[in-house]
Amino acid sequence: MTYHFRHMPANKFGIIDTGKANEMAAKIIEDFGLPIHPAMKVKDLSIVYQQMVEIMKAYSRENLKVICFDAPTASLSDSEIEMLFKIIVKLKAEGKIIIYVSHRMDEIQRITDKVAIFKDGHYVDTVKTGVVPEDEMIRMMVGRDLGDIYKDLDRDKEIGDVLLEVKNVSSDYVKENSFVLHKGEVLGFSGLVGAGRTELMRAIIGADAMRTGEVFLEGKSILNRSPHEAMEHGIVLVPEDRKMQGILANLSVSDNINISLLDQNSDKLGFVSREKEAKAAEEGIRNFKIKTPSPDKKIVELSGGNQQKCIVARWISTNPKVLILDEPTKGIDVGAKSEFYQMICQFAKQGLGVILISSELPEVIGLSDRIIVMKSLKIVGEVDGAEATESKLLSLGMIGEVREA
Amino acid sequence: MNTEKKFRIHISGDKLVLLAANVAVFILFTALNKNFLTVANMINILIAASLVGLVAVGHTYLIIAGQNDLSPGSLAAFSGVLAALLVSKGIPFFAAVLLTIMCGVLVGAFNAFMVNKIRLEAFIATLVTQSIIRGFAFIICGGKPVSVSDKTFVALGKARVFYVPVAVWIMIICIVIFGIILAKTKFGRSIYAIGGNQDAARLAGLNPQRIITICYTMMGVLCSIGGIIFAARMNSGQPSANVNLEFDAITAVILGGVSFVGGVGDTGGTVLGIILIQAFNTGLIMVNVPTFWHYVARGGLLLFALTSDYMRKQKREKDLLAASMKNL
Repeated sequence: MTYHFRHMPANKFGIIDTGKANEMAAKIIEDFGLPIHPAMKVKDLSIVYQQMVEIMKAYSRENLKVICFDAPTASLSDSEIEMLFKIIVKLKAEGKIIIYVSHRMDEIQRITDKVAIFKDGHYVDTVKTGVVPEDEMIRMMVGRDLGDIYKDLDRDKEIGDVLLEVKNVSSDYVKENSFVLHKGEVLGFSGLVGAGRTELMRAIIGADAMRTGEVFLEGKSILNRSPHEAMEHGIVLVPEDRKMQGILANLSVSDNINISLLDQNSDKLGFVSREKEAKAAEEGIRNFKIKTPSPDKKIVELSGGNQQKCIVARWISTNPKVLILDEPTKGIDVGAKSEFYQMICQFAKQGLGVILISSELPEVIGLSDRIIVMKSLKIVGEVDGAEATESKLLSLGMIGEVREA
Repeated sequence: MNTEKKFRIHISGDKLVLLAANVAVFILFTALNKNFLTVANMINILIAASLVGLVAVGHTYLIIAGQNDLSPGSLAAFSGVLAALLVSKGIPFFAAVLLTIMCGVLVGAFNAFMVNKIRLEAFIATLVTQSIIRGFAFIICGGKPVSVSDKTFVALGKARVFYVPVAVWIMIICIVIFGIILAKTKFGRSIYAIGGNQDAARLAGLNPQRIITICYTMMGVLCSIGGIIFAARMNSGQPSANVNLEFDAITAVILGGVSFVGGVGDTGGTVLGIILIQAFNTGLIMVNVPTFWHYVARGGLLLFALTSDYMRKQKREKDLLAASMKNL
């Protein structure tokens, strides 16, 4: 880790004095109060500590005046965010200027003094934190009043029969877990980052090999040895890491929507029908209001929200029964988020079973009929959507039991 | 509609550069040797390209799929020796061809096995095969070339249809068929998808391992066919033949606009690349450049190909950035 610091102590031959470098690193680490050893490799650290190393690297520069954080909490859990904020407070106390880029309102409220608001690539205004209320800021960001976005949703409270039953499913990455999902239900999955939510879903769709357990769809036992088989059974996953696992960056919007439809779109000889592809792409773009100048645009040229809509369009076009959304609104602006919320409710209304993994507590609470909480690769509890509170979910996710404050 | 039009012109822009490079090479060598631009010499270039052409088609598939193959030279030599040996042992020509192609399939499948199951890097995995198969090429014939006397076998190397040698026809047919498969079919689409991002393609319901296996076995078949034709042209199966074959083929493919990044390129570019590299190689011989310098020149050409690949990649990224800025 020592080697991460920019200004290395070196003798006149340019040979680095490792001992001294470690010493310098140790001092900074102590200043920050972190349990890291200077000789540890950065790759062995958890993400939050890797970020801390980045911050310390910047901090080790003598002439540091401004530090910019670009959405630093995107991959951090709540306790890790606390740690980051402590550091930011410390830097601020030392007179450093902090620029903090984020779309998480609660963080902005907590950590900032002033907020500069941007909308669609343009500067809107700078306001004092705490003086201008949150909904006012959101209005400035989206150009309209979101109100209570969760209350206005067109929710369908009718839950159908059991659709998916997961019995003692485990993989190399997650312990044995069981749960059921009903038709027309939005089932939330809450928990800290790394609690095993993604891994459980990957085992169910066959992305990781299932080691134990059984999956029943509409009462019939099914076996998914690959995401392809899961797709054929009607279970599909919109992955968490859109860039690396969702979009096919080298292909167009149309290709990205059609990639899971190749079987339906081609004849016996395997020739793909351009007309069928064009039709499916057009439908997807229209149904999900994907903003693109043309279906032939490369998907990476679209905004994050529109890319995500393409992935959802891809799966909905295969007529799935179970739709698994893993952090579907991560890194997406507030306006597109509310569109996704309406979409999710719409899917449930149409009778799909929706599994919603989200680290944003208001989102899971606002959308889910039931919420399952995971901790340390195990399901630790289940909360009814109507009775769920942030503190309930948090205490379940962090200590494994409900302790109402 | 409008953007689609623009997109097409943009592709042909890259092709135009390649075409210009081709013209430049032809003008250069014609200026240095009057006999360069003659029908007979053009046919010679095509004959010489027939083996590289087949292998380059295989490389187009593999490199777009994010893979690579360094074993074609060895496999082609092995196939030539094996076919010649089988025929000399009294096995009918077509049976010998079939058996040889089956060996090619096995070698391709072995490459795929190493890449898919042992999770080796394609470069390293196929380097293993390169060495092993070259070894077997020597082992099965005891190190001595096996001469070809079977009439059909010899005819494969000599016969012409409409003035054009059969070897060239076979290359052309393969290029057309595999070109259409790549551009128009489900399988072709899947290759682009897995080349761009294997994980994402798998999560989207494709089967990358199966697609990769098909690409490698296809390459095995192409190398075997090419090796048999080469032996027919030489009247013997030579265990030491076709060294650096993959080198030329990869150069042609990269020149043609396929990128090592994966997921980018097409067969049309590869055709232009094949013509360029073979005209270049033939030209060097015709203007009496000493053989040892050929290696240097080919290295230079590969460097040029890689540099242009890099520059195209930079341009793609720049265009992308500009486009996403505009979208805001």
